[in-house]
Amino acid sequence: MQQKAENLTFDERVSALVEKAKEVRYHIVDMVYTAQSGHIGGSMSAADIMTALYFDILNINPLEPRWAERDRFVLSKGHACPVLYACLALRGYFSTEHLKTLRQFGSILQGHPISKTPGVDISSGSLGHGFGQSIGIALSGKLAKKDYTVFTVLGNGEIQEGLVWEAAAAADTYKLDNLVAIVDDNRMQNDGFTDGIMPMDPIGKKFEAFNWEVIEIDGHNMRAVLKALEKAESTAGCPVCILARTVKGKGVSLMENQQRFHGKPPTPEEYEIAVREIRGEA
Amino acid sequence: MKPTKAKIPTRRAFAERLVEYGEIDKEFVVFESDIGYSTYTHLFGDKYPNRYFNMGIQELNTMDAAAGMASEGRTALVAGYGVFLSMRAIEAVRSFVCYPNLNVKIISSHGGITPAIDGVTHQASEDMAFLTSLPNMKVLAPADTVASRKCVDLVMQTPGPCFVRLMRDPYFDVYTEEDQFRTGGSALLREGGDITIASYGDMVFQALEAAEVLSKEGIEAEVLDLYSVKPIDYSAVRKSIEKTGHLIVAEDHQKRNAAGYDLASYCLREYPVPFGQIGLDDTFAESGDYYALIEKYGLSARHIAEKAKIVAAK
Repeated sequence: MQQKAENLTFDERVSALVEKAKEVRYHIVDMVYTAQSGHIGGSMSAADIMTALYFDILNINPLEPRWAERDRFVLSKGHACPVLYACLALRGYFSTEHLKTLRQFGSILQGHPISKTPGVDISSGSLGHGFGQSIGIALSGKLAKKDYTVFTVLGNGEIQEGLVWEAAAAADTYKLDNLVAIVDDNRMQNDGFTDGIMPMDPIGKKFEAFNWEVIEIDGHNMRAVLKALEKAESTAGCPVCILARTVKGKGVSLMENQQRFHGKPPTPEEYEIAVREIRGEA
Repeated sequence: MKPTKAKIPTRRAFAERLVEYGEIDKEFVVFESDIGYSTYTHLFGDKYPNRYFNMGIQELNTMDAAAGMASEGRTALVAGYGVFLSMRAIEAVRSFVCYPNLNVKIISSHGGITPAIDGVTHQASEDMAFLTSLPNMKVLAPADTVASRKCVDLVMQTPGPCFVRLMRDPYFDVYTEEDQFRTGGSALLREGGDITIASYGDMVFQALEAAEVLSKEGIEAEVLDLYSVKPIDYSAVRKSIEKTGHLIVAEDHQKRNAAGYDLASYCLREYPVPFGQIGLDDTFAESGDYYALIEKYGLSARHIAEKAKIVAAK
């Protein structure tokens, strides 16, 4: 079920993921452009992490979305669901045709993730709550003596929520070493740069202070992403936070570090430029 | 039925049955937020430590963790003070319990102004308004220890989210083991032909006492216990007011947005009758003895009887 099971070398896995991430980014841009609504910037910053999860790390089966032994994934920064939907479609949970229905009436792809969508475990989008629910899912795994790992992706703005630190404390107390939280630290949030709003640095030290193991990486270096996820999955005794330094809008120059692309779609001209750049035709 | 003095509060009765139910259903878990001795759920934790999660003082994450647990197919019960469960944790209840329709059972140990001496921050006088507004949520408010014990079985066997309002202190008992309870049900505690007094929880006993007072003055009141606040038993109310032609709703809650408003709107739509309401009149209470509070804030049997005389005369 996983690409790593196909006897690929580490380098081959990395190369395959780098290529796959381009497809994911194309679909993010295309679906938000088609919908004329949705969150591109935070989807693009998480695209490499999400690609590594869905096309290598996660032990999942698209033919049986609720398979009891599967790894769990929670997109706590639920507004970045375009990246989740792109991964799920490309992984075979549903047709890529659905991506063109993002946010539209009757679509299986709601404005923020809901558990009715194939491959989505829980609803999320109100910030902090996905992380909180991850605690319950991890506790359930411990109680049922299941081997699964719960992966959750949070935003750097999201961790301003007090709820996040309630959950961080609970994960420490219950020694949830089956929980991996990835902070997509793209340095921005809705209104602009986090440094000008409410910086949470040092993020890694905060999680360390809650007795989490912290791995800091460049979230766009696929080798580093893959290594960190493998290490996090095998860590015993405490929960793990992967602090991924990322760039909002990563992969399309005109979108990178642009506040406008937090929640706004591209114009037709921007769309053309973006697609060409993602495809390496620029 | 004649009420007798209760020996234990309903919060304790519920928790004691919960311990017994832990043997019947070996899968469900209990979450609480550092008030296990107030909710008496520590009794469950003592017996089933693996199925009991004290999350510390974090009601919001406790509710989310319960939702996450329930999303994995295991019923999760969350016990705590009504005021925190119904407000601090309300978004998690709405979006992550009710929206996905999960088996999370929310147990409020300190309902209405029954945590009287704790003061306003610990009184839950708006809980029904918040909880009954949520799609998929069922809301129960048992009046006595028998009903509260039976509510354990009821909520565990009712699919989806449930909220149970219990009381801090012992008041009275009125039910027997033979009495049955169901979501959407109610109980006729006293028959009368002149006015219907509909109530739930601790106010049931004020309503019964008011009926006794009224009887001495020649007004026979029918007393309905609407222990299922949502869904509420419109058909029982309808049957009663068709007979009595007058309705009073008495509740330990703000007058706004709870059973009183619900039934007033029902009557307006379906069967208009002279109507009166007993409840907190857009005000907070304060610290003090429960009986002093219900006297000052207009919730006592005396207030119900006075209102009933006015409404019955219409």
